Amino acid sequence: MPTVDIDPDELRELTGHEEKSDEELQEELFGLGLEFEGWTEDDEFELEFAPDRLDRLSVEGVARSMRYQYGDARGVHVPSTNSAEWTIEVDESVPDERPYVTGAVIRDVDLDEDGLDSLIQLQEKLHATMGRKRAKGAIGIHDLTMLKGSPATEGNPTIRYVGVEPDGDRFVPLDSDAELTPAEVLEEHQTGREYAGLVSEYERYPAIYDDVGLFSFPPVINGRRTEVSTDSRDLFVEMTGTDQWTIDKMLNIVCYALAARGATLEDVRVEYPDSELVRPDLSTKTKRVAHDRIETLLGIDLDPDEVIDLAERSGLAATRSENEATGDDGSSITPLEDRDGLEERDSPTGSDESKAEGVSTDDLVYEVAIPPYRVDVLHPLDVIDDLGRAYGFNDLEPRYPEVGTVGGRHERSRLERAARTQLVGLGFEDMLNFHMIDEGQNYERLGVEPGTDAYGAGEPATIKEPYSEDYTMLRTWCLPSLLQVLENNTHRAYPQHLSEVGFAAELDETENTGVGEGRHVGAVLASHGSGYEDAKARLQALARDFDVELETPATEHPTFIPGRAADVVIDGEVVGVVGEIHPKVLVEHDLEVPVAAFEFDIEALR
Amino acid sequence: MQLPESQVAVLEAANADEATPVDALAAATDLPPETVTGAAFELEEQGLVAVTERVDETISLTDEGRTYVEDGLPEVRLYEAALEAGADADPVPMGQVIGSSGLEGAEVDIALSNYARKGYGSIDSGEIMADPDADPAADPEANALESLADGGTLEAGDVLDQLERRGLAEVAESTIREVELTEQGVTELMAGVETAETVGQVTPELLTSGDWQDVEFAEYNVEADAETVEGGRVHVLREMSERVKDVLVGMGFEEMDGPHADADFWINDCLFMPQDHPARTHWDRFALEQPTHIDELPEDLVERVERAHREGVGEDGEGYHSPWDEDFARALALRGHTTSLSTRYLSGEEIGEIEPPARYFSVEKAYRNDTLDATHLLEFYQIEGWVMAEDLSVRDLMGTFEEFYAQFGIEDIQFKPHYNPYTEPSFELFGTHPTTGELIEIGNSGIFREEMLEPLGVDCDVMAWGLALERLAMLATGAEDIRDLHGTLADLEFLRNAEVTY
Repeated sequence: MPTVDIDPDELRELTGHEEKSDEELQEELFGLGLEFEGWTEDDEFELEFAPDRLDRLSVEGVARSMRYQYGDARGVHVPSTNSAEWTIEVDESVPDERPYVTGAVIRDVDLDEDGLDSLIQLQEKLHATMGRKRAKGAIGIHDLTMLKGSPATEGNPTIRYVGVEPDGDRFVPLDSDAELTPAEVLEEHQTGREYAGLVSEYERYPAIYDDVGLFSFPPVINGRRTEVSTDSRDLFVEMTGTDQWTIDKMLNIVCYALAARGATLEDVRVEYPDSELVRPDLSTKTKRVAHDRIETLLGIDLDPDEVIDLAERSGLAATRSENEATGDDGSSITPLEDRDGLEERDSPTGSDESKAEGVSTDDLVYEVAIPPYRVDVLHPLDVIDDLGRAYGFNDLEPRYPEVGTVGGRHERSRLERAARTQLVGLGFEDMLNFHMIDEGQNYERLGVEPGTDAYGAGEPATIKEPYSEDYTMLRTWCLPSLLQVLENNTHRAYPQHLSEVGFAAELDETENTGVGEGRHVGAVLASHGSGYEDAKARLQALARDFDVELETPATEHPTFIPGRAADVVIDGEVVGVVGEIHPKVLVEHDLEVPVAAFEFDIEALR
Repeated sequence: MQLPESQVAVLEAANADEATPVDALAAATDLPPETVTGAAFELEEQGLVAVTERVDETISLTDEGRTYVEDGLPEVRLYEAALEAGADADPVPMGQVIGSSGLEGAEVDIALSNYARKGYGSIDSGEIMADPDADPAADPEANALESLADGGTLEAGDVLDQLERRGLAEVAESTIREVELTEQGVTELMAGVETAETVGQVTPELLTSGDWQDVEFAEYNVEADAETVEGGRVHVLREMSERVKDVLVGMGFEEMDGPHADADFWINDCLFMPQDHPARTHWDRFALEQPTHIDELPEDLVERVERAHREGVGEDGEGYHSPWDEDFARALALRGHTTSLSTRYLSGEEIGEIEPPARYFSVEKAYRNDTLDATHLLEFYQIEGWVMAEDLSVRDLMGTFEEFYAQFGIEDIQFKPHYNPYTEPSFELFGTHPTTGELIEIGNSGIFREEMLEPLGVDCDVMAWGLALERLAMLATGAEDIRDLHGTLADLEFLRNAEVTY
């Protein structure tokens, strides 16, 4: 799971709770789902987080959540924005693959080293998560004072998002002194090489220009000219991507973080060839949530006021829907601009004063406002989850559901268990091997040619780009695995009578998946004096146990000694092979004792 | 030759020149006489000794006999009193003599009945006569009593018969066995006889011949370790899997089964996992190179799933702002979780529509292309379970999982709110390690999202959870390296010594 580094001192400062100890903070963070993993080299908390609350990827967002948790903040807070001065003009030449852009201007920031580090971390974490490693969304943050925008219309400065020739204009990228073309950046610059795969297939590369020239090459790298430092006062934030919603949400998270540090937000106009947007879009979204659903999902009875309170403590704002008449307008609460500093309200838990007698909650529905930094609320259920967290899931009393059902094993699993029980009774040690193997182990080391008629020689289902060369395919039979166990245990006491009732698979065009999956019964008898008869005797015992008719006509199989191998024929069908393992196979597995073996398809025992 | 310990002792104590009684041998060998007798017969069977038997008579005095040794025989006392009274000359009245003799009660009759018989005199018409020639000192019966009282013996004959008849002496018979070395015995002794184990094995011969009654069973060192036996046994992880299945079946869960190699559609898309979710493109996924795509997916289901991804579900639902492509969904992979079985069952594709209430489970393999180390395997068993019913709540979920984990001794489950793309609310489950007391993650759970259930055609609630069987097994067996348990690197020694799980 991803992690985020948080400076506990900053957290104390931003929450206004200087008195909190590190341990208290860690415990409270755990309550938010941020698990303390350890300290970083810079004495920060390393916190593991579940990737839903992406608004908590920096200390500013975490502090906001904690203020709601402490009860210091309530409801929905939306920062105000000044009207737009700057425009991003989107040119027709922009690559079709990456058509979207968004942006905002941030003024009067006061970034110290910690603030700058936090902003850089937020950018990186957003890239890694929502931005899908910059493929879906990439962030560029610039020092506004370094930008020169020609007043295209009515004196408004403008920058342009365009598509450029890979070997066109040059610029000096971050962490470099050389003027490079975009194509050269992909080859020569370290960051360029890292992200080259995102744009190298494009005909034209994405680029952002001001009057001076190219200053950003999204999603790869910014130019050095507009680099942000602790001296920067005003910032220009631009984001490009493959989806407008995604980059707009990423922008909201960045805007909230900077606003929390006292900055002023300013709108930016985004002019597409055929439409125009004003960003950031800090409008709230509304979900309609039924009271009844909240109660059934949490398994508790709630007073409507309590629901509204829980919502506020979650940073949401719930009002009774206007569509249903309750006759009780006292509980209606509009989204709050900022409830900070208001006197603390008593927890309504257990308070019944506002619960109107006789008012049914059956059809009660809430309109719940969702703040613009939330990216995880897709459905009313997500609101109920927030309410549950605010209530405290661990305060709920577990109960065993009074639901009667009849249990039972799958027939296949019963058959396997029965076969395994008989094998153990016959003295076999039950094995449990991997289903994945490599071609060498599965075929070559047993002398088998894939695709031939020999038992176990079926064509393999293969793994794409295997992580390990030992696991490149699904095994077609169990004997190779059992021989490997013998090979790895030559220092252990004999006899080693091993069996496995296990998975095997091979290509089968008649299957919907193209893979024929089965279960095989495999066994090896390794000891001084093991011979064909030992294997056959046990095979006979199994056949008798399952009341099937066994025949063993002589056959040839490359894994076995000629003249000592037979087909396993059960009820008239060839389903496996039995014999004495060929010395060449034994030597290949470093074995110094004879091994008799059999393997067949368990379906034959039905 | 080798002989059992007691036989060797008897053989060595016996003599070739004279027969030694068993009692003497018992004293010499410090063995109980019965043991010596048994050993002697065993030796005789082998021709090493000759055992002779004779019946011995022992004569002993009765209480009455002992009284007469003290007081003299009644008839003798009568004779002596008669002499005093001068009955040797003239008859003396009986009463007078008896009075002076001191005889009382039964003794009088005894004296009278033996007086004449032994020639001490005669009794006639109430008067008694004494034979002056009679000699009480030569009374053979009195002398025999004296002799017996002194530990002497008595030859069989009239006197003994008389004493027996009179109840003054008793004759007891006893069999005396004597043991004598044979020539063969001497030869074997010369050649050397060693102590052999006594009878160890109970053989059919021993039982049918009845010899088991006489033989000596060797004493074993019953405390010593016996040899190591490697019987067949079920794999320890399989035992754990069976136990989990027992528990779940007992809780009313039915088992699912389905393909290991499956379309991403069933593994991820039906779970409302966006196609650009990092887990779906992550390198830990085992995509198949051959074959590449599933042949067929249920068309209407594909449509509904795509719509859920794009537009969400319900009047206020929102989809993902992510691309969705059917070809991508049809790509085959080894399932990364067994939740693909759940989606197949819930969709009705596997066993037809499932009506609530229902409980289903599986304990099956899932595949993760991860680093192989002490706690991670590329293949692991996932325990997967779900409950379908109307109006399930978070409390029902908590109650169900508390019950499940309690079966494994894990109490005090904690529910940490969590995020999964396919459940809401979601919880990571933590439990306290039974031995270390450490808080450890033991599962992931939640209530399936409507965006997942609605396309599958399920219109009630479904809660689900999953965890790795290996984690439970490591907790239960104390195994520290998962590779000892599972796979071809398995150590037979470890498996043979593993504690049975039940």
